Amino acid sequence: MGCISCAGFVIAMSETDAVTLRLKEPTTIPIEADSICPDLFVGRSQAGIESLPAFYGRRKVTLGDLFTVEGENSDQVIVEGALRYVKKIGQRMTRGRVVVRGDVGLHLGAYMRGGEIVVEGNAGDWAGAHMQGGRIWIRGNAGHLLGAAYRGEKRGMNGGVIIVEGNAGREVGALMRRGLIVVLGDVDEFAGVRMITGSIFVSGRLGARAGAGMKRGTIVAFADHAELLPTFRYDCRFQPTFLRCYLLQLHAWGMSIDDDRLEGFYRRYHGDLTTLGKGEILIYDQR
Amino acid sequence: MWIENVVCPFCGCLCDDIAVEVEDNRIKSVKRACSNGRSVFLHAPTEARRPVVDGKEVDWPDAIDAAARILMKSASPLIYGLSSTASEAQRKAIALADLLGASIDSTSSICHGPTSIGIQSQGEPTCTLGEVKHRSDLVIFWGCNPVEAHMRHFARYSVLARGKFTPQGRKDRTVVVVDVRPTLTARNADIFLQLRPGSDYEVLITLRAMLKGARLDVAEVGGVSVAQLADLVERMKRCRFGVVFFGMGVTQTGGKHWSIAELVALAAELNAHTRFNVMPMRGHGNVAGADCTLTWQTGYPFAVNFARGYPQYNPGEFTAVDLLARQEVDAALIIASDPMAHLPRQAAEHLNRIPTIVLDPEMNLTARVARVVLPTAIYGISAVGTAYRMDNIPLPLKKVVNSPQPTDEQVLDWIIERVKT
Repeated sequence: MGCISCAGFVIAMSETDAVTLRLKEPTTIPIEADSICPDLFVGRSQAGIESLPAFYGRRKVTLGDLFTVEGENSDQVIVEGALRYVKKIGQRMTRGRVVVRGDVGLHLGAYMRGGEIVVEGNAGDWAGAHMQGGRIWIRGNAGHLLGAAYRGEKRGMNGGVIIVEGNAGREVGALMRRGLIVVLGDVDEFAGVRMITGSIFVSGRLGARAGAGMKRGTIVAFADHAELLPTFRYDCRFQPTFLRCYLLQLHAWGMSIDDDRLEGFYRRYHGDLTTLGKGEILIYDQR
Repeated sequence: MWIENVVCPFCGCLCDDIAVEVEDNRIKSVKRACSNGRSVFLHAPTEARRPVVDGKEVDWPDAIDAAARILMKSASPLIYGLSSTASEAQRKAIALADLLGASIDSTSSICHGPTSIGIQSQGEPTCTLGEVKHRSDLVIFWGCNPVEAHMRHFARYSVLARGKFTPQGRKDRTVVVVDVRPTLTARNADIFLQLRPGSDYEVLITLRAMLKGARLDVAEVGGVSVAQLADLVERMKRCRFGVVFFGMGVTQTGGKHWSIAELVALAAELNAHTRFNVMPMRGHGNVAGADCTLTWQTGYPFAVNFARGYPQYNPGEFTAVDLLARQEVDAALIIASDPMAHLPRQAAEHLNRIPTIVLDPEMNLTARVARVVLPTAIYGISAVGTAYRMDNIPLPLKKVVNSPQPTDEQVLDWIIERVKT
């Protein structure tokens, strides 16, 4: 999958209908803004949205204290400003659309169940953690633990789609239970660690220890080399039919898909042998 | 006057058989302690020191007032350290964090934090050091070097200790050392497996797969042959009572918490064949206590944040290094620790920029850059308290000399009272 054209994906959002939030002042004090959630903006006036709670460090404030708010009663949300320290945007959302203009902080779209988030910059760690539905599209890079489980939890992402055009960090899809994560760049080590099932596609370099402890599920490396753990065993070289269905769907969403990847052969390895061993890692085979 | 059965507060071994000779409120000599413990007792400061605010000596009420003002003004304070103080003071530190809505983290996050995360995902087959002494016939040291770091561990608990079912001590035990270099501990081993640096995870997961009887396509893993690993698995299955002690060679390299999860899972699965346990080699005297106290107060062992009025836990978000490196905190209270000397540069630089309060008996590097320095007594030497050994057994710390300094607990109490008013 080389480059990507999102023209078909990004439907021009009518800005007159949307609620626009702009962070008033850049800060390094963490802001917890789980109230930036389309579900909470529907049926609320501008003053109602401004009075929603947020946390500036240890201080309980309102969205209106931190952001200028324009618009009302809409599940279309645009967030602007220096948002690297703003956490939990779109957390638990079930509908609507959030567009983040720039980089965004931790926990973007965690526990999300529906709707769509588009990030035009980079996203912090735990984007899409415990996500159950909907779609997150990150134009830049994602941090660590994309679509993962929080520490001590038994399962992570349980549905939905995450697409990252840049690179992603460590433990992508850790303890993932269902859903699809597509990373067009590289991923760091432990992608799909202890995944229960679900799918992770990586166009760039698949980091070491991918699929460590995985029970079921599929990790696809579209680059033709990946370093695997000793607890994975080679099965065969084949043309996976299901992969074609997935890639055609991604194409329909506006991604350009190489014919080679669509029609090509993949080497299949199964593991992890310390557990069920029903997981598979598919590595594109150029021959 | 000799005082017997003193607990040495220095390292996680908490040796409780130390004898200390005290004359005129000074420690003259120490018996049975290792060289680390001896230094702690013999060089303990006993002279009176006044608190310092902005480089000037002040009285205690003024210093407490200055500390409370810094904390109250802060939008995002951090409380960090806790590993060399008593659990009574740790409890007060947590109360203060709760009151302020601060983040609180112990030095666990830069040593055995991954151990806590690994254990959370897997459970913990564990025992006491007494059981190791009396029962163990296979002792594995993985990524740790007790001969140089926990000097009396061999003699008191693990390798040489003679117990009820191990009357011949060393002769009754097989000692395995797994490390990336031949340490002094490795010289005392029956079997030494030298791993390629950073390959602990691969070796551990291979051992687990072999224990399950899986067929593997490899001949060597991490620089060790599969035959050697098969031999180790057989020894683990055949022993009567096995234990793996592990240190930062495995917690802070490569797979971190996932390596620990594999190690713990390996020990748990070995219990289908025999009795098998794991135990982290905790460094500071009461770092295990910091985990225990935080857990029974908040439900979480480290990296806790109270900003929303209830404890939130997230290593990587609320761990001191991450908070400081991302510049997310604007004031810090450091208790019995020296982060300026130990944290990565980026984190230490931010600590240098923000107003810092230090509670410590010593004038350490952090105290030198702190806005407020509150010199306190030393638990186990000039104050009584409770500390947890590396096997999470609480031991009472004695007071062997008098100190004019207040304890960490008292000072934290004063700060709490001042913040409340």
